[in-house]
Amino acid sequence: MIKVENLHKTFKTKSGPVRAVDGASFEARDGRITGLLGPNGAGKTTTLRMLYTLMRPDQGRVLVDGLDVEQDAARVRRALGVLPDARGVYKRLTARENIAYFGRLHGLDEGEISQRTERLVQALGMEDFIDRQAEGFSQGQRTKTAIARALVHDPKNVILDEPTNGLDVMTTRGLREFLQALKAQGRCVILSSHIMQEVGLLCDHIVIIAKGKVTAQGSADELRRISGEENLEDAFVKLIGSEEGLAA
Amino acid sequence: MSVVWTVMKKELLDLFRDRRTVMLGLFMGPLIFPAMILGIGALAEQRARTQLESTLELPVIGAERAPNLIAFLETQNIAVIDPPADPEAAIRAQEYEVILHIPEGFAQRWRDSRPALVEILYDSSRQDSRIPVGRVEGNLRGYSRQVATMRLMMRGVDPALGEAVVSGRRDLSTPEARRGMALAFLPYLLILSAFLGGAYLVIDVTAGERERQSLEPLLATPSSREAIMSGKIAAACAFGMLSLLLILLSFKLSFQFAGSGPFEGVDVSFLAMAKLLAILAPMVLIGTTLLTLISASVKSVKEAQSYMSVLMLLPIIPTVVLLISPVKNQLWMFAVPFLAQNQALLMVLRAETISALEWLVYAGAGLGLGLLLWLVAARLYHREKLAISG
Repeated sequence: MIKVENLHKTFKTKSGPVRAVDGASFEARDGRITGLLGPNGAGKTTTLRMLYTLMRPDQGRVLVDGLDVEQDAARVRRALGVLPDARGVYKRLTARENIAYFGRLHGLDEGEISQRTERLVQALGMEDFIDRQAEGFSQGQRTKTAIARALVHDPKNVILDEPTNGLDVMTTRGLREFLQALKAQGRCVILSSHIMQEVGLLCDHIVIIAKGKVTAQGSADELRRISGEENLEDAFVKLIGSEEGLAA
Repeated sequence: MSVVWTVMKKELLDLFRDRRTVMLGLFMGPLIFPAMILGIGALAEQRARTQLESTLELPVIGAERAPNLIAFLETQNIAVIDPPADPEAAIRAQEYEVILHIPEGFAQRWRDSRPALVEILYDSSRQDSRIPVGRVEGNLRGYSRQVATMRLMMRGVDPALGEAVVSGRRDLSTPEARRGMALAFLPYLLILSAFLGGAYLVIDVTAGERERQSLEPLLATPSSREAIMSGKIAAACAFGMLSLLLILLSFKLSFQFAGSGPFEGVDVSFLAMAKLLAILAPMVLIGTTLLTLISASVKSVKEAQSYMSVLMLLPIIPTVVLLISPVKNQLWMFAVPFLAQNQALLMVLRAETISALEWLVYAGAGLGLGLLLWLVAARLYHREKLAISG
């Protein structure tokens, strides 16, 4: 369970300060998939980075399973599985070594690591490349490796930044099933996306972000009602205020 | 602690999978440095030997005015030849290293038993002329003394009366130390290898990882950033020490192989090698932590690499300073980075003993500086910008 309260984050740039996140609040409950939908540059990645403790909010706070992210950063990280925007898989290590490295950094012993790796390899369908060096992996193989690596310590909460970015249709379908399974296990799943259809299909709770602000949130039905649009995509466009930076 | 170990193992595995980089990093130095040092030494020695032992061709102006002197010179492995038309121009054009001029009044003054003048023409700014000029001068002095002794004896005077003071020389440098002089720039090579030997690895594991965007997931794990950074530093130090070990072994082998020559008697025992390695260890730590600090503060690998040209000059400063104004070994020197390494390395190569106090000051200052740089680097590792590259 992740609770976000009134987050603010401003970056200094040469052309003046930029308010990347400007008062975002939402709640991601366990056993649900929460989706952050917004055009490119809306502040999704920055919001997620504050959730997984790599950035400190200027204002507001984040609670993960009741723990304050700023005060209990190490414990929060233990409870989180993170797929960052940049996958950052080590090219000269095999997929298995990549996963094991993170397992050790999470303090798991070798038995646990190999057990969990086996389970993730099956769930994600990584059998044919698990022992290959990551150099030359396809985008899908890289993403799967990064997801397995993020989940090796069996975290209760899973944060995925644009998980389907650059994946083909089949891989995307497989990944959706995997995320549904995580949800069924009672985990709290948060993902970000700029693809309306994907969020509409997958997410139980949708948070719409534009220019660093949450403009609306709720289930697909609720959003349709709020916007007064029958078609979900029309509802999204209306709530965001523009079609720019979105994909159907 | 287990995190440090985990990160270190992973970085070394990652590095050693990159075969070509490892080969270059580990074997380039060991192959090139001994070749350089031995090659330069052999070249210098060969040059000196040919100049000392070969027949010196000496153009003499007015040779006919002093047939006796000429006959003497020709017994001393000197071939007297005809002078060029313009002797001064010939010296400037570097056609001859030295020309002897016997002026017109020579014969008259000789007969009057007054000091007869001869002139040596040469260019003092040319290194090459040093040995030939020395040979000519020495022979002239010998001839002068021979004739003077005969003149005194003919007049019934003891020749010894002409010399009030005799000075003799005793060279007290040990043979090892004389070899050490030939090794003036060996410390620079060793210090440089220790200081920057693992540079590309250090830059790669911080600035490179940041650029490849793999630092973000790594820093999102519960492992402390200090531990992660220490693992990376430990990996780079291990690699640096391994490459130093290979360099030292290659020196040992090639010095032994070279046998006689300018490096005969340089202390290349295993004990000396172990001491050299111990001396260089703090340098490896200082170099690695300094580069980690730089890598954590810059935006890209390129920016980190542009510091390298300046860093490469740092180890040469003490060598140059000592060359210009040599100073006696003093305790404070063992606390100054680079100078301390330079002095300590030379002492080992000259087979001198480093006292316990000197070791203590040396290790304290070196490891202290390493720790300080580590602390600053750790602070930089906590910056928000470090993890975020996109």
